[in-house]
Amino acid sequence: MKRSLFTVLTFVRINTKRFFRDRLALFFTIGFPLIFLFVFGSLNNGSGNVSFNVAVINNSTSAFSKTFVQQLTDSKILKVNKDVKTIDQAKEKMTRSELDATIELPTDFGNVSPGTTYPSGVANVIYTQNNAQSATALTSILDAQFKAINGKFVTNVTPFTVTSTQLNQLSLSPFDYTFAGLLGFAIIGMGIFGPVNVFPELKKMGILRRLSTTPLRVWQYFLSTMIGQAIIGLLSLGIMFIVAVLVFHLKVVGNWFELAAFIIFGIITILGIGLALGGWAKNERQAAPLTNIIVFPMMFLSGTFFPRYLMPEWLQNISAFLPLTPIIDGIRLIATEGKHLIDLLPQIGLIGAWLVVIYFIAFRVFRWE
Amino acid sequence: MVAMIEVKDLKKRYGDKQAVDGISFTVKKGEIFGILGPNGAGKTTTLEMMETLRPIDSGTVLIDGIDVAKDPEKIKYIIGVQPQTPAFQDKTKLTEVIEMFAAAYGERVDAMQFLRDVELEEKANSYVESLSGGQKQRLSITTALVHGPKVFFLDEPTTGLDPQARRNLWGLIEKVRDRGISVIMTTHYMDEAEVLCDRIAVMDNGKIVAIDTPKNLIKQLLKRGFTKEQHVEQANLEDVFIDLTGKGLREDI
Repeated sequence: MKRSLFTVLTFVRINTKRFFRDRLALFFTIGFPLIFLFVFGSLNNGSGNVSFNVAVINNSTSAFSKTFVQQLTDSKILKVNKDVKTIDQAKEKMTRSELDATIELPTDFGNVSPGTTYPSGVANVIYTQNNAQSATALTSILDAQFKAINGKFVTNVTPFTVTSTQLNQLSLSPFDYTFAGLLGFAIIGMGIFGPVNVFPELKKMGILRRLSTTPLRVWQYFLSTMIGQAIIGLLSLGIMFIVAVLVFHLKVVGNWFELAAFIIFGIITILGIGLALGGWAKNERQAAPLTNIIVFPMMFLSGTFFPRYLMPEWLQNISAFLPLTPIIDGIRLIATEGKHLIDLLPQIGLIGAWLVVIYFIAFRVFRWE
Repeated sequence: MVAMIEVKDLKKRYGDKQAVDGISFTVKKGEIFGILGPNGAGKTTTLEMMETLRPIDSGTVLIDGIDVAKDPEKIKYIIGVQPQTPAFQDKTKLTEVIEMFAAAYGERVDAMQFLRDVELEEKANSYVESLSGGQKQRLSITTALVHGPKVFFLDEPTTGLDPQARRNLWGLIEKVRDRGISVIMTTHYMDEAEVLCDRIAVMDNGKIVAIDTPKNLIKQLLKRGFTKEQHVEQANLEDVFIDLTGKGLREDI
């Protein structure tokens, strides 16, 4: 037994060293998921505060209108496109949905009408059919602003008002879901695409065949791959966590050790799929189609790129049983909801069941050449 | 001399082709035994059955008294295998290749010693992809010997090498034999077989058509009245080979 483990550990040591010498492998396991993290992270960050792309066309020369436009420009809710000067330009951009709406201020906007002491006017929100929703929202935003302004000029009584209070409790942001999904994507990349690309190549070169003339056992070869992947996987996901915490303000409330243990468990399970596919395939032509059939549905249904709660319920019920789903859910539950392993018994049980099934198949179908 | 390998009535069938058709031979301890034959004669299949890589249809192979079919795991500890085209994973240092192969047998070895045996000690810290074809063959030979096997198989070891690299490799193979290891090799080069092999078996269509020392095979051919056009008194092994197996070009299998 001691000899067997020495064999495994030597393979782990040398294969891990080799991995760090291989820039392409480094890029695909560490750099590639990071790129996705930056892309999806930035997309999600914007959705925190809703903003409208608008053009402001001011036909008035009044001092009030100028101050008002300045206020709109400084507003965080509105993104004012300053290149648009005429209503025609605005129309063109609205039809292409580059603008959500246009705010037009008429010539008399902000003038003091005869018989009054305060400026007045009607702002016109212009929009196209496909932007009705944004226009409604924008109208009510402007309405609220005008109310505040009106209060300064005319005192009036407002018996009913509404205020909103933000609770300081933890809640999940879309990014929490996205991030857990991206970790799932990284695990698939390493665990499945890794062996599926490497094994047929090793078979083609006769490297596995040469190993099969030695007393090396399949389980030793698998175990050394599992340990190596767990090390590299922890490193890759660790870097993703660091970036997510520093750049995208991810709040990890769970226990790091439980998280690491759970991630290793997940990586090893998914790696089994890669070992089965790569171990079975005689060459790339056999490996690629079957891998795509298995990986892509799993990737989308398990919520790597968009959260599962967006799916219809029947689909959610099915996708809940895929091996990657409990892994992604579990990582999110530990990391952002502070759950413990003991709370995750359903997830762990499901992953464990898949682990047994997957490795049973992997050992059965493995071929040295 | 003690027989290290005993092959008896060995057979292998692929579909409707009898790849190996009941061959028998013995290999002594510490000799170089060559298997010659045109492509598709069954050389590689024979070797693969002896190396535990292919199941045996019928017949027996005993190596050092152990039945290959019955105890392949034990066999793996006493044989070393040199594949036709040695390949190693990129970004692996030569010392690491040796360490890994030794580890596959559960052993820890002095990698430098094994590199010195094949004059690769200067390359110890290079990656395998920087080696020339001949250097890869030498590395492959030394990795096949890390566990001190009793039998060493080589499949066309010098194919594609330049004359210098070939002669260098011959020297290495002779050194292996001189350590008391039985060497079994296949080759297409008659000069190689003539220089290197103590005995050879010529295979054609899955059968052994002749088995003897190169010298005796040549003598037998001359006795049958064979003459060469210009050098009446001389014939070389290539003549024996062509005489036994015909001139027709064979399709690669």
